[in-house]
Amino acid sequence: MKQLTHMRSALLYLLPSLILFTVFIFYPMFRTLYLSFFLTDAKGNASVAVGLDNYIHLFTSSQFLNSMKATLLFVLYTVPLGIVIALFLALLANEKLKGIGFFRTIFSSTMGVSVAASSVIWLFLFHPSIGMFNHVLQLLHLPQVQWLVDPDWALLSVAITTIWMNTGFSFLIILGGLQNIDQTLYESAQIDGANYWYRLRRITIPMLSPTLFFISTISLINAFQTFGQIDILTKGGPTQATNLIVYSIYREAFVNYQFGTASAQAVILFVIVLFVTILQFKLGEKKVHYQ
Amino acid sequence: MKKTYLHRVSLYLLLTFCALLLFFPIIYAFFISFMTNTEVMSGKLLPQTFDLSNYYKVFERLPLVTFLINSFIVSCTVMLGQLIVSSLAAYAFVFIPFKGRDLLFFIFVSTMMIPWEATMIPNFFIIQKLDWLNTYQGLSLPFFALAFGTFLLRQHFKTIPYELYEASRVVGLSRFAFFWRIVLPMSKTSLVTLGAYGFLTTWNMYLWPLLITTNDSVRTVQIGLKQLQSQELGTDWGVVMAGVVVVIIPTLLLLFIGQKQLQKGLSQGAIK
Amino acid sequence: MKNMKLRLLFLAILSLFVLAACTNSDSKKNDTTSTNNTNDNSGKDTASDPIEIDFWHAMSGTAQETLDTIVANFNKSQDKYKVNAQYQGTYEESLPKLRSVGGTKDAPAITQVFEIGTKYMIDSGFIEPIQTFIDKENYDISQLEQNILNYYTVDDKLYSMPFNSSTPVMIYNKDAFKAAGLDPEKAPATFNEVIEAAKKLKTDDMAGFSMLTYGWFFEQLVATQGGLYVNNDNGRSDTATESVFNGKEGLNVFNFLKQMNDDGTFGNFGTNWDDIQAAFTAEKVAMYMDSSAGVAGMIDAAPFDVGVAYIPYADDVERAGVIIGGASLWMSKGIEEQEQEAAWEFMKYLQTSEVQAEWHLGTGYFAINPAAYEEQNVKDKWAEYPQFKVTVDQLQSTKESFATRGALISVFPESRQQIVNALERLYQGEDPQKALDDAATETDKAMETAEKANQ
Repeated sequence: MKQLTHMRSALLYLLPSLILFTVFIFYPMFRTLYLSFFLTDAKGNASVAVGLDNYIHLFTSSQFLNSMKATLLFVLYTVPLGIVIALFLALLANEKLKGIGFFRTIFSSTMGVSVAASSVIWLFLFHPSIGMFNHVLQLLHLPQVQWLVDPDWALLSVAITTIWMNTGFSFLIILGGLQNIDQTLYESAQIDGANYWYRLRRITIPMLSPTLFFISTISLINAFQTFGQIDILTKGGPTQATNLIVYSIYREAFVNYQFGTASAQAVILFVIVLFVTILQFKLGEKKVHYQ
Repeated sequence: MKKTYLHRVSLYLLLTFCALLLFFPIIYAFFISFMTNTEVMSGKLLPQTFDLSNYYKVFERLPLVTFLINSFIVSCTVMLGQLIVSSLAAYAFVFIPFKGRDLLFFIFVSTMMIPWEATMIPNFFIIQKLDWLNTYQGLSLPFFALAFGTFLLRQHFKTIPYELYEASRVVGLSRFAFFWRIVLPMSKTSLVTLGAYGFLTTWNMYLWPLLITTNDSVRTVQIGLKQLQSQELGTDWGVVMAGVVVVIIPTLLLLFIGQKQLQKGLSQGAIK
Repeated sequence: MKNMKLRLLFLAILSLFVLAACTNSDSKKNDTTSTNNTNDNSGKDTASDPIEIDFWHAMSGTAQETLDTIVANFNKSQDKYKVNAQYQGTYEESLPKLRSVGGTKDAPAITQVFEIGTKYMIDSGFIEPIQTFIDKENYDISQLEQNILNYYTVDDKLYSMPFNSSTPVMIYNKDAFKAAGLDPEKAPATFNEVIEAAKKLKTDDMAGFSMLTYGWFFEQLVATQGGLYVNNDNGRSDTATESVFNGKEGLNVFNFLKQMNDDGTFGNFGTNWDDIQAAFTAEKVAMYMDSSAGVAGMIDAAPFDVGVAYIPYADDVERAGVIIGGASLWMSKGIEEQEQEAAWEFMKYLQTSEVQAEWHLGTGYFAINPAAYEEQNVKDKWAEYPQFKVTVDQLQSTKESFATRGALISVFPESRQQIVNALERLYQGEDPQKALDDAATETDKAMETAEKANQ
């Protein structure tokens, strides 16, 4: 009886979430799954059932495999480096100094710049003829770099932009984590005469591990879902070097009008992200130190 | 923990260097927004004069004020919606023991892994069927339920001792009263954090507003940015950067005011 | 102190809410009145109430300014109709929206669609061919530029009203020509001539030749040799089933680019219009291919003398001319008849020589009504920029053929993407025939899938 009333009132509180999730996430997800087994006509309706053909087509298409590779590379470029940079800045900004608040504000500022705005700014920085980067290289008498045009550089350039955009958010979270560490731990270490590096390795990083775990999970998920900067900076080129999977989905759906294969790609992406997250939890949880 | 003079100076130098490096793109955009086209083309760093004509142009070319107001309305609506919906859900997850709670929570959290772009196409058709194209609810309602928000608030609610809840029931406080009068006030930081997070992410949304609006009546500022760039003709960078500055100033301001709160609250979600 | 800041934050957020709440109710009111206007004009329409129609377009930047002025002038010029010009993002972004409302009463009366969407629009069933109105009214379209009409005429029907039209041209730096000992008044005309000139023009800082990595330019270089893009007469006598751009003409183009790439005289500035244009003004490249619409802006922006020439062609063939690019205006089916009428009136207004003159001057796009070139303001501008004439001459001297009328395929956007990919691979050292063949195979696959899905 009591269990039942609990259930009822719990449902009451959860109802708004459940309705919204069902309408805007679960239903679309199933719809996507459904569409992935079809070809779609000019109006975007399922027209021919093709079974697993869309998936088979994808896994034999060199372009899709390339897109997966690019996505994985992009994740590798952005996630670890992004976290290391944010951690470095957070450690720096955690020092007790006069005016440190100002620096903290600056370090978190990129969180307030939208993807569209920052991509436009970086597009200009990367500009082959009048951009700041090539300008500086010229002043230093170094060869010019075709940032967004050279296939060897393009993914890296987009990765740099992405790291910059994410720094603000990661920085804020890590700084928060740092400030939650119990100061007495340091004080006892101080008495032992431990130096900065020792303290960092033995106290700070272990105590920070839940925060680092949280931010790396969020960064991973975000990196897999990168879209806006690709659309504005490279449109997936050159030679598909930056054709990340979400951008590829967008192109397939909105440029090529193939909702079927686009949906199949979306399903694959979901499975990958789910897999990586579970893996992250399995591997990460062991290393995370909880108080 | 007294720092030596040298130590302090080197720290300040390092901090300043990092700050300059990180903030440079924003300053650069700010400078370019004052430059004439010839100045931009010659690759100068500083504008000769602080000429406002790019700003006049940007406001002339686009209904930017309308766009800004729309962005405020949509962002505030989503922020409020997320706060209400997420806090209710998080409350149920923490204070009401019901069967299948953990499973349901896992399902909630797993929605974080569904890329928004993957469900965008069906969602677009839903909004269209509801006849919500070009409406504020079409822009905001799909974002009310936020797994991240529920997750964050749940972590915070968990720090409230369960004994407090039991005690309040003994005193005769209703479940909702406990939520409203005790839990929410105790979670102010987290709520502010989530609010700011929701506000910022909504403000920055781009593809969704573009898809579900067909006229300028409810369009948001991010679309304005897109409209400033020419396709077949050369882009007028000065004007574009003026647009960028107009678009980022409100969010930067919000961030500068609320930075401390935001950081505190976000970090609480990160630890178990 | 801490509390103070917190309070400030709350106050800021609170004031936002208040602001939002006020404006919210206001704009809602406006909203409902405006929607009332558009929806109600079907029934209780009185003489004083103008018929409102929506016009979806993809013009951003400076072109949007000119377009808005023209629309405002149309609305002022009469009181029967009112056109609302609405930006919908790029052509790619506006099509899904159109698809969702196409054929219903919510569809915009007029939609601007890029030229390569022509086949898609015809097949979609959303649209009313313009020909219907031309026949009904015996409207004389012979006044319009024949070479532009050719593109949008399918099975002898004019489906959409041409609007912003451009062709490719080769733009070059006359000062660089002089410095290299070349005749600045005589631009190289054939592939080999361009290759040779590029060698002479190449310096440490400046590449000889460049072309935006964009399928459109490839199509043009194929067509100007009289080559087809797809079979069945470029898809104009029957639905295309196979791409043929990987034949002799396509290979000529790829070899032409490869030669310069190998010589080190080719500058690759990527897929962004702005990047290549800036490279030219910054004297990083001496010759490049651009849209005729960009000519005026370029002459103004460049700190040197700018020459404009026809696009080059292969040495052993005759020049066939260029295909029209840009976009056209489509009328929706399924909307109120009087809305179609309004759309038709607006389209006719756009064709007048004064409006076309304004459009041509404001954007650099062609006047689809050549009478516009006789308007005084255009003559003045041409006197100032004699280079404009080259672009018009190139268009008007184009010989009509299936090659120069352009290909009709529904999967054109995807095919262009494949060409971009092939070009990028070419610049990385891929074999020209291989790169082209792969692009052709992918295009064929896409055509096949589309065919299967739309039976």
